[in-house]
Amino acid sequence: MTDVIRTEALTRSFEMGSTTVQALRGVDLVIGRNEYVAIMGPSGSGKSTLMNLIGCLDTPTSGEYWLNGNPVAQLGEDELARIRNREIGFVFQTFNLLARATALRNVELPLIYGGITPAERRELAADALRQVDLEDRMDHRPNQLSGGQRQRVSIARALVTKPALVLADEPTGNLDSKTSMEIMGLFDRLHRQGNTLVVVTHERDIAEHAQRIVTIKDGRIESDEVLRSAPASESVAESAPRALEAE
Amino acid sequence: MNLGESTRLALESIWANRLRSFLTLLGVIIGIAAIIATAAVINGLNRYVAEKLSNLGSGVFTVQRFGIITNRQQFIDAIRKNRRLEPADGRAIRERCPLAEEVAWEAHATRDLVRRGAEVRDVDIGGVTSGILEIEPYDVEAGRVFTPSDDEHGVPVAFLGYDVVDRLFPAVDPIGKELRIDGLDFKVIGYAQKKGSFLGFSQDNFVKIPFSLHRKLFGSRQSVNISVKASTEDSMTEAMDEVRAVLRARHHLRPADPDDFGMVTAEGINDLWRNMSQTIFAVALFVVGISLVVGGIVIMNIMLVSVIERTREIGVRKAVGARQRDIVEQFLIEAVLLSCIGGAIGIGLAWGLSALLASQTPLPAEFPIWAPPVAFVVCTAIGVFFGISPARRAARLDPIEALRSD
Ligand SMILES: Nc1ncnc2c1ncn2[C@@H]1O[C@H](COP(=O)(O)OP(=O)(O)OP(=O)(O)O)[C@@H](O)[C@H]1O
Ligand SMILES: [Mg+2]
Repeated sequence: MTDVIRTEALTRSFEMGSTTVQALRGVDLVIGRNEYVAIMGPSGSGKSTLMNLIGCLDTPTSGEYWLNGNPVAQLGEDELARIRNREIGFVFQTFNLLARATALRNVELPLIYGGITPAERRELAADALRQVDLEDRMDHRPNQLSGGQRQRVSIARALVTKPALVLADEPTGNLDSKTSMEIMGLFDRLHRQGNTLVVVTHERDIAEHAQRIVTIKDGRIESDEVLRSAPASESVAESAPRALEAE
Repeated sequence: MNLGESTRLALESIWANRLRSFLTLLGVIIGIAAIIATAAVINGLNRYVAEKLSNLGSGVFTVQRFGIITNRQQFIDAIRKNRRLEPADGRAIRERCPLAEEVAWEAHATRDLVRRGAEVRDVDIGGVTSGILEIEPYDVEAGRVFTPSDDEHGVPVAFLGYDVVDRLFPAVDPIGKELRIDGLDFKVIGYAQKKGSFLGFSQDNFVKIPFSLHRKLFGSRQSVNISVKASTEDSMTEAMDEVRAVLRARHHLRPADPDDFGMVTAEGINDLWRNMSQTIFAVALFVVGISLVVGGIVIMNIMLVSVIERTREIGVRKAVGARQRDIVEQFLIEAVLLSCIGGAIGIGLAWGLSALLASQTPLPAEFPIWAPPVAFVVCTAIGVFFGISPARRAARLDPIEALRSD
């Protein structure tokens, strides 16, 4: 049983003119299938940087990253694009929806690059929007939607290709607490359906939806606590017992 | 991503910025419109020249004091050296050139004609020998043409061009009426069909009179044009050689001397015209080429702006799985479409312009059917050539950096 995510001594630094910012200073993280992990930490600690690496949106300065057992460093541009397209659903704090496109078109976007036919595309996108209770907003553009609705569109977009791994970087960061709870309810459901989830958050009560909380500080993992050892998944059987190496 | 999707995206983006897109395309629009309009005019002139030349009759050539002159030096030499051609030259050709089946000559003068208060200016008064009718028959609208005896006996008769009839004989039948030219009254025996105008010059502003009377009125100092018809079309070159030999002998030229007269054939005029039109077209092409390059650079510039404006969009696309080639395709198609839309507008404009030229100006213009496909090929090439670099730049954007940009 391979882990979904395994990183070893992952670092990422940014050249800022003459100075170098060390955003990650050696992260070892293992996340198994159907785990639900929250990542916490103070602002600037490197949470987003880590998520971008995990999401194959960025490449590490050093260290290794295996996704489903495959070393990501050896993959080419097209391969990475395919992984972003099929295997990972990424939810951004700022939604990152196309402003000129309707909700439906936004959700169709990954399917377009996945080479799905228009008819099938429409159906799948409509389905995904239905899952986030937005079937009556399909023809609305982002600026005609509330913040919570926008985030649900972006979640629908992340889910439409049925990726096994869903990454969310502060998905509730721009939302009020009631809307945040709705969104977290969606994530809980995804987890029960067998997805692997990694969610970055600042808030403890949001993080407590997860089974496990990883805390990052100054580019390193500071703590890794398991809240619930039993997975909340409906498909427990296939979920491997996690070898949780607490540091 | 498939082509239909890219095209749709590109159209959406062009439409979203339609005013900017249009302004961007002005260079291409004007370039394409200008070159096609030029081609349309040349095309129209070509047809006109071809028609005129086919009228000239086969196996016919003209000997003139100055032939076709294409440069300044030729002109200076011809003024200095070329001798006046005389009726005697014509008679010598008639007698000594067996292949010249028919020989006629014509002298010209220009006069303003007045009749009962009406006036026509700058009428070409041609004095012709009757043989000209065998060589270059007139299109008679009414009446008759000259007989050999008109010339022999110096009968004051005149054959009129349509304009002269129109202006001097409004609402009367001119045939049998008198027309005074330089103090001598001529009896109108017939007039020609309307020929229309070419490049603003009327082709109907003439009067023909017998050659002998022309000499009497205007003197014998003018050089005459000698028209020759070869006995068969195939023998024209040999007939020209005979004529050349006779004239050179009469003018006492040594073998090394160049001809001191010119010979004009339909083919010669055609060659001259083709040369001229090709030069015009080449110059136009060059100028338009520059405007198209400028248009292309403007497109490139606007595509670069568009890439920068849409950095975030590109980031989103890459984040959800767009490959580099998908992004290249999207922007390249946008550039090509942009330039082809410019081309299409240019074609439309050229089409309207050539219709306008044909109806409102003396220039004959005929829209060339090859223009649209050629224009589209050219515009596609411009779009690809100037679009590739912005498209590549877009495709190479780092997804995270693109998403972070505002
Ligand atoms: N593209 C970049 N260029 C330069 N420095 C960067 C870049 N991205 C991140 N950093 C720096 O790396 C460090 C970690 O940033 P990161 O965005 O990962 O923090 P974070 O934990 O997500 O913070 P927040 O909770 O505020 O989102 C910060 O000091 C940041 O300034
Ligand atoms: Mg962050």
